[in-house]
Amino acid sequence: MMDGSSQQRVVITGLSVVSPLGNTIVDLTRNVFAGVSGIKRLDTSFVDQLDCKIAAQAQFNPADHFSKYAYSILDRTSQMAVHTSIEAIKHANLEISDTLKQRMGIYLGTGMGGAHSIEEGYVRLYKEGLNRLKPFTVLMSMNNAAASAVALEHQITGPNQTFCTACSSSAVAIGEASRLIRHGYADVMLAGGAESLLTFGTIKAWEALRTLAEEDATDASRSSKPFSADRTGLVLGEGSAMLVLETYEHASARGATIYAEIIGYGSANDSNHITQPTANGQATTIYAALADAGLAAESIQYINAHGTATKLNDATETEAIKNVFGAHAYKLSVSSTKSMHGHLMGAAGALEAVISILALQNNKLPPTINLENPDPECDLDYVPNVAKKVPQLDYVMSNSFAFGGTGASLILKKIAK
Amino acid sequence: MTSVKDNQTPSLDEISQTLAKMVADKMDINVATIKPESTLEELGLDSLDTFDLIFNAEDHFHIKVPNDQVNISTLQDVSTLVQRLIVEQQ
Repeated sequence: MMDGSSQQRVVITGLSVVSPLGNTIVDLTRNVFAGVSGIKRLDTSFVDQLDCKIAAQAQFNPADHFSKYAYSILDRTSQMAVHTSIEAIKHANLEISDTLKQRMGIYLGTGMGGAHSIEEGYVRLYKEGLNRLKPFTVLMSMNNAAASAVALEHQITGPNQTFCTACSSSAVAIGEASRLIRHGYADVMLAGGAESLLTFGTIKAWEALRTLAEEDATDASRSSKPFSADRTGLVLGEGSAMLVLETYEHASARGATIYAEIIGYGSANDSNHITQPTANGQATTIYAALADAGLAAESIQYINAHGTATKLNDATETEAIKNVFGAHAYKLSVSSTKSMHGHLMGAAGALEAVISILALQNNKLPPTINLENPDPECDLDYVPNVAKKVPQLDYVMSNSFAFGGTGASLILKKIAK
Repeated sequence: MTSVKDNQTPSLDEISQTLAKMVADKMDINVATIKPESTLEELGLDSLDTFDLIFNAEDHFHIKVPNDQVNISTLQDVSTLVQRLIVEQQ
């Protein structure tokens, strides 16, 4: 089964999050279908020095989960990743035997890795005028630190790789992990993303791109407005989402609860511009996922959109969906849950994959909140403001696009109980 | 932990107590369980943790530990090294 020619079905049996909408699947489910926003004024010492003072922070205190010794040598990004990996394995009711350890790996997406540790180092050097850095600086800030911390935590010895494709990082990680399992290179994979970049330097860099949302004049929590005519940009967020992927065979044999099957993954590069997407580029990614799944476009009932709330993305993504789905684009529903949880960057795709699975599980579509003034260019059903119950949801798609061009589209299917 | 001022070479005992506190704080263990003859390995420190301890000792005692002198086994070794470097580098 190691020659890459086998075709295993890939199912999802465990989910876990640290997110602006809660740190348990129960809390996330309640909040995402109730249209709750996790966006607010940033709770940090440097907020007064920011032009953009809003963010979607995760309420995550490492001391609640780890010994001081354990967390003090991990960046906040890694702390979140290790925590969600532990919880995802618990959620999957998975016992990791010595045999399984060799057939289990971790694929993780992150955009900026240990951003806090890098910044702390620079503060010591350039602000405090010290001329040396702490011994753990490299190990805490390197981009593969989080995935490696996860592998160490569970003593798993299968493939350990980190995907760094900006906003699509964790969607790519999940897609690539599903291929690994599909082709027989692993039986179980942890796959997901982690990002914690709400540092002074990182936010300043984003401010300079002029792509962050303006704070809503009356309610900061309503600042992310995907597909709305008055959208002004994205809201930075932080968190981690982790999924347990395994072969259908392995999951069935151990009697695991199966939350969804990954039936398609497509990735393509939009080689138009470093930041500007094209409908053609995004459509290529979506087509690739449909082709991978061998699924007619008309089967897709719901799309969790990339939906960043930037002027360009939302109009382009709408056009891409129309290009691919034709008349069916007006029958399916699309929503951007970034309206609630903000943009988790490298962890966004994983969180949105989890939310897409919750949609399948609950036959319910999460809303795009703050959509009071529709943009004529965005004329699809975006599940405005309130969640929508549907009779039966079987096929959903989760799209992620990115600065740099890497698109990733995942197709998830409900498995009959 | 008060900082060390110039011309005040702390006793080996004082250095040892300060280092024990650093180890206890870092490793989340009770300082009373730490003895001078404890090896760093027994206390749970791996090579990186040892570098971290030396880093903190350098900050606290205003010394610089050369790379060729970090082969130390017990807490006593660290205390002796620190005391010698304080005298040499004052």
